[in-house]
Amino acid sequence: MLFLNLTVAQFLVLFGSAAAVVFTLYLFDRARRRQVVSTLRFWVDAERPVASSRRKRIQQPWSLLLQLLSLALLLLAIAQVRFGGPAQARDHVLLVETSAWMGTRTGPSAAAPLLMDEARARAEAFVEALPSSDRVMVVRADALATPVTGFETRRDRIAQALAGLRPGATGLNLDQSISFARQVQTLSGGRAGEVVFAGLGRISGRESAGATAEAPANLRVLEVPEPAPNIGIRGITLRRSASDPAVWEVFVIVRNYGPDRRTVPLSLRYDLAPAGARSLDVPGGGEREASFTVRATAAAILEARITSGDGYTADDYARLELPGLPVLPVIVYSNAPESLRPLLDANPKVRATYRAPSAYDPKPEAGLMVLDGFAPPRPPEIDALWLDPPAGASPVAVVSRGTALRLERWLTGHELGAGLRTKDVTLASASLFRLGPGDHAVAESSQGPVAVAREGPPRTVVLGFHPLRSALRYELATPLLVANVLRWVAPGVFRTPELQAATVGTVTAVLPPGATAETYRVTAEDGRDVPFSVREGVLTFFSGRPGVVRVTGGDRELVYSLSLPELSEARWERPAGVRTGIPPASGSGLPAETWPWLAALGGLGLLAEWMLFGRHGHLRGRVIPRPAHTETAPVPGRKSA
Amino acid sequence: MESPLLDRQFLEKLERLTIHWKKSFPGLVGGHNPSRYSGGGQEFLDHRHFHHGDDLRAVNWRAYMRLEKLFLKMFQIEPRTPVRLLLDTSQSMTAPTPEKLLFAKRLAAALCYVGLVRLDTLSIQTFADRLGERLTCGGGRHRFSPVMQWLAARPSGGPSSYLQVAREFLSVHTQPGLVVIVSDFLDETGCERALQYISDFGHELLLIHVWAEEERRPPWRGEVELVDAESGSRMRIEVDDQARDRYTAAFDEYAGTLQTLALRKSGRYIGVSTATAIEDVLFGPVVRAWGLS
Repeated sequence: MLFLNLTVAQFLVLFGSAAAVVFTLYLFDRARRRQVVSTLRFWVDAERPVASSRRKRIQQPWSLLLQLLSLALLLLAIAQVRFGGPAQARDHVLLVETSAWMGTRTGPSAAAPLLMDEARARAEAFVEALPSSDRVMVVRADALATPVTGFETRRDRIAQALAGLRPGATGLNLDQSISFARQVQTLSGGRAGEVVFAGLGRISGRESAGATAEAPANLRVLEVPEPAPNIGIRGITLRRSASDPAVWEVFVIVRNYGPDRRTVPLSLRYDLAPAGARSLDVPGGGEREASFTVRATAAAILEARITSGDGYTADDYARLELPGLPVLPVIVYSNAPESLRPLLDANPKVRATYRAPSAYDPKPEAGLMVLDGFAPPRPPEIDALWLDPPAGASPVAVVSRGTALRLERWLTGHELGAGLRTKDVTLASASLFRLGPGDHAVAESSQGPVAVAREGPPRTVVLGFHPLRSALRYELATPLLVANVLRWVAPGVFRTPELQAATVGTVTAVLPPGATAETYRVTAEDGRDVPFSVREGVLTFFSGRPGVVRVTGGDRELVYSLSLPELSEARWERPAGVRTGIPPASGSGLPAETWPWLAALGGLGLLAEWMLFGRHGHLRGRVIPRPAHTETAPVPGRKSA
Repeated sequence: MESPLLDRQFLEKLERLTIHWKKSFPGLVGGHNPSRYSGGGQEFLDHRHFHHGDDLRAVNWRAYMRLEKLFLKMFQIEPRTPVRLLLDTSQSMTAPTPEKLLFAKRLAAALCYVGLVRLDTLSIQTFADRLGERLTCGGGRHRFSPVMQWLAARPSGGPSSYLQVAREFLSVHTQPGLVVIVSDFLDETGCERALQYISDFGHELLLIHVWAEEERRPPWRGEVELVDAESGSRMRIEVDDQARDRYTAAFDEYAGTLQTLALRKSGRYIGVSTATAIEDVLFGPVVRAWGLS
């Protein structure tokens, strides 16, 4: 017998005190009944000396016994007495796998039970087999170990927690789950029971060795049947074609998790229209990759689907939201637009509009304004590129007009000077600028800066020469310089997107050489930052639920559409000596909690005592009227009178 | 609001009853019980010799023609007899339970209603150690509601003193009549002499002895401390079956004394327990004792 709320000593002290109080009150209350009567004259004849006047006598021993018994029952209910003893109570941790595998079925038909149901049934059977005093903690085991309940003795709450378990989308991290269970058992302070794992036990290749080596001695495995052979989409990768930004290159990876070779049709749809189809012959346990090209400039939905015919459909379909092709609108004010047209029209991400200087608007509907050698009446209010402005109208102060200027230095550490190496060019004539605060000398000659950039807003780049009317016209530096200006003004437009439909869980991305964590940012759909790490050029982050995660840094943007389930491939090898199956039932048959019954019995006992012996109208003293006393015989007791 | 002492259905049942007395009382015509005294009634009673001053209309002329002597016809009358109801409100009427006084009030109210229906004139008076307030009522059933309210409002308290009460009663009510006493007849000095005085002054006694069942057969056992409700005196006693039997025998003996007294004085005695329904009391023991007919 075990008291949960009180020690035995506390219980005895409380019961002794209460019993003493009850007994004393009883002696005072019941030992001598005080009764008001209408007269004492008839008692004179009936009087008999009190035989034991010096001694308190218990007039109603059953009443006292009933009171003490009820009191003991109530105290036992308060103490939450349990039958079975503290030596048998143990703390078990029940790890129920909720990885993506648990959403598969045991057979190919849709009527076959889910592996989740099988695991749940085994977990319930295990709980039923435990003694009622044992405590059980239910833990969801997938990529993370998440406790669903605390250490619980109430079987209905455990059953409720088990019924609420659903298969997730991540893989199983068994090593972490078992470590968590051991830690919880250590911290609980109770007698450690078993660590029970109910599930399939498919883990990632990285984890398999460690988990096998550290399997605890109190581990029990409740195995579920093998799933039906499954084949599904493993991932999709999309990137813009390097030759044509309007073309998406699509790579679809299909994996066969079963042992036998299978052929599945793969179809691709772009914006609900068929965009490609392929029949893939995938060997058992292998992967096949199919590539497609899709021309798309507008934003749309890309869907990939296979017809697997297996009982698991979560990995038969994947979809990606393709962003539209971003375009930078540029307006050019020039009297000779033909010279600038090849420079700007070559870039498909630039939509240039050419206007005469007389049509100048300081705030046109554009992302960049190019001012070709004229002085605007009012300064531009958007980002602007000035080409050889008049000395009096230049936004950057002109010191002088130099001749025969040899370019000596480019601002290579800045985005505007990226890739510019040309140094053996001599400009026939160019304006020399005086740098102001915040100005950068993009190109410098021997006599001073000839190209200056000023941080905005608005951002301004001033070239003291015309790149297409000078010696720089035939140099590679000219289109590079213009491209750098466009990228500096609108970095988002020129960022190279890369989309991937991947599995939830741990995601890795290979970064360019020299990339650091400071230059990257990982965000979820709702804009919140996702924790990540960069180690040896590999960015790693974790997402436990489906969604879209963006990795941005430099001129790259990786978009992960984490909609596919993570089906781990490695099979966990159960160590030798690990117990399996449901243990024999050892429940005592007694209810897990006896305090409600004890409290009810105690209350009933007090009620019965009050009704039988209390002053509740002297029920037992009530005499049913006898007809003899209401007869015409006027004198009671005189039958013959 | 308190519920009335008697409900309407019960009162309707009482309308066929009449308060009955055995003695012949002189009085004016208007009653409903015949008297041995002659008067201006309808029923022939007797003849007597004619005296000067007698009403010539009552002379039996047929006898005069035959016998040549004047005889006067006498007729039986039903005189209007005063009914006086004394209700005990002493402290003993509330012990061991207050239901005893309530029972007595309901009984008194029922008798009063019977009298009002028969156009009797009733005088209700409470008493303990002295006579209390008096209410005189008559004139029909529609006067019953104030009587019931008056009875319900009577408080209880005080010791009993029958001798003092009888003295005051006889000094106030000189005309003999029916005296109904609803009481437990518990007095430290005894009530027998007082009742005898009342009877000796020509009143007819109708004693209604009210007791609670616990009063006649106490349910307690063991050591009991008894407290007299009126005097407050205490007695410690060991109650067992023998003591209870002796107590009941003493109680019954006292009731027998009261009955003997009543019968000896041409009165009636009715003992009722509060455990009996009022309806059963009125249509049972009271009717059988010829208190009501």
